[in-house]
Amino acid sequence: MGDRPGWQGLVEAELLAVGRSLEVPPAGDLTAVVRQRLEGRAPSRRHGPALGPLRGRLRWRAALVVLAALLVVLIATPQGRAAIAHVFRFAGVEIRQGPGPARHPGSRASLPGQHGMSLERARRQVSFPILVPAALGRPGEVVVSDRGRVVSLIYRRTPYGLVRLDEFAGHLDQFVFEKFVHSGDVTEVRVNGTRGLWIKGPQELVYITRDGTTVAASARLTTGNTLIWGTRQVAVRLEGNLTRTAALAIADSAR
Amino acid sequence: MRSAIDDAEAVARARGGDLDAYAVLVARYTLRAHRAAFLLGAGEEADDVVQEAFVKAFRHLSRFRVGESFGPWLLRIVANETRNLTRSRRRRAALALRLGAAEPGGAAAGGPVDEVLAAERRARLLAAVNTLPDNERQVLVCRYFLELSEAETAQVLAWPLGSVKSRTWRALNRLRGLLVPGEQSRISHG
Repeated sequence: MGDRPGWQGLVEAELLAVGRSLEVPPAGDLTAVVRQRLEGRAPSRRHGPALGPLRGRLRWRAALVVLAALLVVLIATPQGRAAIAHVFRFAGVEIRQGPGPARHPGSRASLPGQHGMSLERARRQVSFPILVPAALGRPGEVVVSDRGRVVSLIYRRTPYGLVRLDEFAGHLDQFVFEKFVHSGDVTEVRVNGTRGLWIKGPQELVYITRDGTTVAASARLTTGNTLIWGTRQVAVRLEGNLTRTAALAIADSAR
Repeated sequence: MRSAIDDAEAVARARGGDLDAYAVLVARYTLRAHRAAFLLGAGEEADDVVQEAFVKAFRHLSRFRVGESFGPWLLRIVANETRNLTRSRRRRAALALRLGAAEPGGAAAGGPVDEVLAAERRARLLAAVNTLPDNERQVLVCRYFLELSEAETAQVLAWPLGSVKSRTWRALNRLRGLLVPGEQSRISHG
C-alpha cells in the first residue's frame, strides 16, 4: 500500500472505530441446539412459525437454562470421562471441563508479542479503556500483548500477594482465553451491576489468537482464584490469592 | 499440549464425527458468526442464520482443506445463509446499524468536547455507510467492522480479490468528504 493516500488511512481508522462501537445484540448459546440437530433430535428452526415478540424472551430463557446446566455438570461430572465434556463462554473466556494438563504448563508462560510499558503509553496503544482498580492503586507493571489486543496489569506487592488483571476489548468476537477447569467450582456473581463469574481453584489458562489457534507458550496454571467480568467495552479477568469478597471489592473499584 | 485443541485438530476430529470437538468450534465461533450475520443484514434473525450455518458447515466439513483457517471458511457459509435470508424476505439487506451508547467514564483522550465531536463524526459516518449500495456496504462491513483482511473478505463474500479492492476503494472515496474538510467536491456519485 505504498501509494495509499493519507485520507484513506483516516477514513479506515474512523471506520474501525465505528465498528468497535456498533450495537450488536447478544448471541444465543447455540452449542446444544446445533448438536441436537446434528444428532437428528431437533427439527430445523428456520421457516418455523414466527413467535413474534415472545421469541426473544424464550430464547434468552433457554440460553440461561443451558448455561446453568453446564455449570452444574461442570462440577458434578467425574474427571477424565471425555476429553472435552462441556464448553461455555463468558466475556471473552471459553471455559471447558477437561482432564488434567498433558504436560505441566510452563512457569514462564508468555503472551505473544508482549511489551512492558507505562500505563499512559498502554492507554494510547489499545482501543479500549483500561480499567484500573482504585483498591490496588497504580500497577507495578503494565504489559501490552498481541498488538494491543490484551493489557495485563501486574501488582506484585498487595495484601494478597501477586495479583494480575488481564483486560481485552469487550467487543472481541473471538475468545481470548481458554480455561480448563479441572476441579473447583464456578459461580455467577454480580460485579458493578453486571454478571461475572467467580472460579475457585487453579485452572489451566491458554491464550487464543485472532484466527483461533491456541498459543502453547502461553499455557500456565492460574494461581489462587479468578473473577471474570466485563463492561460493554472491556472484559477483565482478575487473578490472585483472593477471597471472593476481596476480589469483588477490587472489581467494584475498577475505573 | 493435548488438552487445548486448536481449530485444525477440532476440525479433523469433527470430520470423523466427533460432536464434542465440533462443540468447541461452535462455542468458539458463535459470537464471531453472529456478529457477521447481524452486520451483513440478518438482523434479529442472526441466531437462526448462525444455527443453520453451523449445521451446514458440519455437513460440508469434507470440503474444508487442510491448512485453511476455519473462521473465514465458516463466515462464507454465514454470509451465504444471510444472503438467502435477505433474498427470501425480498428486502434490501440494508439494516440500519447503530452505535452503542458511549460508556460514561470511557476513554476520553481529549476531554468531553473531543469525545462529543468524535461521536458525532462517527454517527455521520455510520449513517453514510447505511446508505451505500449493498456490495460496497458489505465490503466495508467485512474489512472494517469484522476486521477481515482483503483475502479473507474475498473468501467470505465469494468475490474475486480485485472486486474487493475496487469496491473498497469506491466506498472509501464516497465517505471521504465526510471526514476530510474540503474534500466534498470530490465525492463520486457514480
